Amino acid sequence: MIGQPTPPRAALVLLAAGSGSRTGHSTNKVFLSLAGRRVFVWTLDATAADPGIGPVVLVVRADEVDAAHAVLVREAPGRDVRVVVGGASRHASEWSAVQALLPMIEQGEVDVVVVHDAARPLSGPALFRDVVEAARTHGGAVPGRRQPALLDRAGLSVRVGEAIGVQTPQAFLAPELVAAYRAASQAGFEGSDTAASVERFAPDVTIANVPGASTNIKITYAEDLFLAEALLARSSFDLRRLSRGGGG
Amino acid sequence: MEEEYADLTCAACGRTVEHELRHVGRLLSTTTCTACGHVVEVAPRSMLPAYLHDLEHRVTSKPVRMVRRARRDPARFVRELPGALLRQPAKLTAELWSIVRGR
Repeated sequence: MIGQPTPPRAALVLLAAGSGSRTGHSTNKVFLSLAGRRVFVWTLDATAADPGIGPVVLVVRADEVDAAHAVLVREAPGRDVRVVVGGASRHASEWSAVQALLPMIEQGEVDVVVVHDAARPLSGPALFRDVVEAARTHGGAVPGRRQPALLDRAGLSVRVGEAIGVQTPQAFLAPELVAAYRAASQAGFEGSDTAASVERFAPDVTIANVPGASTNIKITYAEDLFLAEALLARSSFDLRRLSRGGGG
Repeated sequence: MEEEYADLTCAACGRTVEHELRHVGRLLSTTTCTACGHVVEVAPRSMLPAYLHDLEHRVTSKPVRMVRRARRDPARFVRELPGALLRQPAKLTAELWSIVRGR
């Protein structure tokens, strides 16, 4: 019997390098303990059962490679995760990860690249599925939520027009993403996020907006850790049970 | 009570600086901004139900975690198991006590 060819899968890029310098004995916030697991491990957990998501590239700082390996052995055993060293900026870290995936992309094993901020531990499996599916349909996908009450800096009046708060994971067809990043590299362009580089250097790619989730918080303030912990407890520490809290 | 330090943004002074984080068991109990001293904490009365809920999850997920550890390094697992078992009562008592006395 002749085996069926393996369908291409999405690759997950998990950005955990951060950009700021850390002081003294500070821990990178994505290495903090959150309900018994490191913050970034929750994302690995959210995507573990999805057969459509294959290789994972975890981007960390050079001095955190050993710590990352130790956490992976302890908290995500058996998961196919490659640890790469990031650059000085988010864009440089993304480019490092994309280059690590190049052989698999060129061989057709990976058709979509999903880029995710490791400081967003509660994205949940459904959002990953949604962005991968939308990227295959449109070329790119970015989750976002309407921000109806943004204020102008001067005068505290409500801003006119529709504002969208952009989240991650962001997903793109892999060949288009590689082409955009190669062009960005040649032009010396540093995008603020993945979509910025694709938008500028692959203008033919349609980037669809998929509904984000109010629970998809980014750990920034100390209070965010308490909120993330409470949301995990409410879902019995199972991300599949986590309510998305309304999209759009 | 375990301590960790991480650079987070302080809601009071607005700076992204080192914060001291204290846990009870797996749960975060207080964070302190090392720049301005702003403290965020869970009231002990609220901490207890959350702690008990978390403890239930810790206990029910323990067998799986023990099997995982045993597979990873069987010799070390066997060597460390007696000590780990003996430490549990004192560890749980200390966690509960820190909640009851309000840290």
